[in-house]
Amino acid sequence: MPSPLELYEALRAPAAAAYAAWRKPVRPRIDVALDTSSLANGAAKTRAAIADAVRARNAAVDLGRVHGYGMQWCQPLVTVTFPDGASVIYGPVAPADAQTIVDIATGALPARHRLALGTVAGAVAGVPSMRDHPFFALEPRERRVLASIGLTDPESLDHAIANGAYHAAARMLDRHQTPAQVRQALVDAGVGGRGGGNFPAGTKWNFLATTPGEEHYVICNADEGDPGAWVNRVIMEGDPHLLIEGLLIAAYATGSRGGFIYIRDEYPLAITRIEQAVRDAEAAGLLSSGGSGEGILGTALRLELRVIRGAGSYVCGEETGLIASIADDRGMPRVKPPFPATSGVFFKPSNVNNVETYANAPLVLRHDAPWYHRYGTERMRGTRLFSFSGDIVRVGFMEVPFGVPLAGALEACGGIVPGHALKAVQSGGPLGSMLSAELLPQLDMENAPFTALDALLGGGGIVFLSDAVCTIHMGEMFAEFVEDESCGRCTTCLRGNQRMTEIYRRTIAGGGRREDRHNLELIDRTLQFSNCIHGQFSPKIMRNTLRFFPQEYERHALGHACDALTCAGLIRFRVTDQRDPALAEAQAICPVGAITGAPGARAVDDATCIRCGACTDVAPRGMAREAAPAAPRVIALA
Amino acid sequence: MPLETEAKAQVRALLADLRPGHGDLLAALHRVQHEFGYLSGDAIEVTAQQLGLFPAHVYGVITYYAEFRLEPPARVDIRWCSGPACRARNGGGIRDAILATLGCAMDGMTADGRAGVRLGQCNGTCELAPQVWVEERATHTNAIVGGLTAARAVRLARALRDGATAAAVLADSTITGGAIVGDALPDTVTAGATHA
Ligand SMILES: Cc1cc2nc3c(=O)[nH]c(=O)nc-3n(C[C@H](O)[C@H](O)[C@H](O)COP(=O)(O)O)c2cc1C
Ligand code: FES
Repeated sequence: MPSPLELYEALRAPAAAAYAAWRKPVRPRIDVALDTSSLANGAAKTRAAIADAVRARNAAVDLGRVHGYGMQWCQPLVTVTFPDGASVIYGPVAPADAQTIVDIATGALPARHRLALGTVAGAVAGVPSMRDHPFFALEPRERRVLASIGLTDPESLDHAIANGAYHAAARMLDRHQTPAQVRQALVDAGVGGRGGGNFPAGTKWNFLATTPGEEHYVICNADEGDPGAWVNRVIMEGDPHLLIEGLLIAAYATGSRGGFIYIRDEYPLAITRIEQAVRDAEAAGLLSSGGSGEGILGTALRLELRVIRGAGSYVCGEETGLIASIADDRGMPRVKPPFPATSGVFFKPSNVNNVETYANAPLVLRHDAPWYHRYGTERMRGTRLFSFSGDIVRVGFMEVPFGVPLAGALEACGGIVPGHALKAVQSGGPLGSMLSAELLPQLDMENAPFTALDALLGGGGIVFLSDAVCTIHMGEMFAEFVEDESCGRCTTCLRGNQRMTEIYRRTIAGGGRREDRHNLELIDRTLQFSNCIHGQFSPKIMRNTLRFFPQEYERHALGHACDALTCAGLIRFRVTDQRDPALAEAQAICPVGAITGAPGARAVDDATCIRCGACTDVAPRGMAREAAPAAPRVIALA
Repeated sequence: MPLETEAKAQVRALLADLRPGHGDLLAALHRVQHEFGYLSGDAIEVTAQQLGLFPAHVYGVITYYAEFRLEPPARVDIRWCSGPACRARNGGGIRDAILATLGCAMDGMTADGRAGVRLGQCNGTCELAPQVWVEERATHTNAIVGGLTAARAVRLARALRDGATAAAVLADSTITGGAIVGDALPDTVTAGATHA
């Protein structure tokens, strides 16, 4: 019987040859980034246009696919790989640029072009390395979790294997490490849970491994429910085998034979890619399937992985809610203990980790603790992925060492959009933070500085908000979110968040009252008595807002004014220039017919106007959004 | 034994490989809804039988999740992104403009069922904020339209309300002009299927 490493080598050798041929192709190749972000930006249309251009010219060029490299603000991204192995990323590539890209690939145009963003392999005269792009200034020279992103076809098992996938697992299975040694390696590296809590993964695996019973499960939390966080999506769409290998390692280390990957409903492409990757791994003998066939790589180890598609519920990201959701129940979190290691899915001992936590396990086994500790801080080891959005010049994702300054990240993102300044940092999702700009220098990207401010760094999403945004308006959004997503088990959470939302709604409608603050604080204290973190943390953003934006709150609640001019009950729309020819369009676009009168005498009927802003969109000169005159008018009582 | 209608037989065939106590309920509900557009009383009954659950349990699960429906959906839904990057760019105004144009509340639809609006969650394409998805039932289209304004949202909602197809609207620059029209995301009909 061949050993696991021999069986692995039988997979690796042809994979390496296939990948080498892909990296240095005989004919130039054009890889259009195909991921959720690129498709949202029209990458399929770009790809079709490029395919047409290649066909029309009969050009000696092939087409392929990669995952976008991180610069989402430049999507659709297109990589051209030349026969010498040099790869240049271009973007944004519209369908109209298809000819240009084909010309670059064939050499009819120089690789250096205004659309060129940088090289990701080899060197091309006049094109800088992508590694030198300011967006990646905080990334280590060598990416870790993102190492394969943009450099492989994410749908190819061969490409993954050629880049090291499953090697650590094969070595482990070849008796290089016992399960206890694998768990210790995770403990020594200090891999913390990337779901936000930073709980040591090795310790959690120890809990499960030492729980009696045959039937153990490993569960991957891919619910990624925080709006503004999409780093788990990148791993699943860009390097699915890294996650699967991580689950395989965890299963071996904890004695698990079954596993679930619970993916949120909003990620259809991640679901497709993970399902395909699981099938490919099964076919290659890297996972078991259907209760029959051999163990993995010729050993006795069996692991069957199943993908579960969520159906739109934020609290299913909480581990006990997730477990209930997998097991045919309403996904309601429950009181802990018992913890999942004692009673998990189907009441069997289970381990829940985030996607990125599992993705770090193969990296730890491929290297060692000192390598892992090269980045990060004492308390938070290694790197982590972040997604940045909001009012910044460059929206995208990157992998940075824990502990780097958030101010540096804002700089990497090109700063706040021109003409505006940073007002607030929103991290950690709806249970997270609303921090004011002057705190930025205190914020290193690890948990401690955030917790010290009663805030949360969270699962990787960071939203930078400019001075055009109102924190009370945003607060209403998050209040509504936590209210909507309360599972309903605790009256404190269900009703408390309803009351909080009502107060926010009434305030932005112009009906703020003096006693609101007292009531908000009472709601806050009451919510602490909820059973799960959802209820306990749901007033955090409100608390942050009262503490770090006290004037803005007072202006709304007592002054009945919104200086950012976003809160519906505190603003009005008015015709400011009857001569603007665009007023006719404004009149036509108003969805409620609030603009009345003949040309030259147009006016807004304030009682009808819903403050949507369609009129100022089309007639910015002749129409204005302005502060409502003193006496507040309550638009709609909550 | 209740009458075996054709609808029930179809659902039964769809769920033939799923089994009790196996974590198959979400997959079952996704399959049925993908096929029929919503989860009917018949579907609840058959799903419960197939998975060894009480119909009340299945009903309880359906109503827990935002994505499952007990009524037929609109012909086309505008799924409005409720996330922070979108909200920071007049996402609230865009929502109100769509609701006013369609004359319905969130998660509702026009009286004739031609167009509806649904609450959406950020999927991490915030570079396009503010955005909506256009979801057409018959074609299983699910395409993002980004770079919206309230005015562009009104044009989009009016066209869909007046009966235009998703494809027609997405291709018509007099409607979507200035916005960024994305491509459809995969239609994962098999998602959640088990290897049973
Ligand atoms: C309301 C709520 C939502 C959560 N959502 C997620 C999520 O989407 N993804 C995630 O990994 N963890 C989420 N968590 C944390 C999980 O409960 C759990 O701690 C985590 O998956 C453990 O994995 P880790 O140790 O690898 O971080 C959430 C927690 C709460 C209270
Ligand atoms: S907030 Fe709307 S896409 Fe992220």
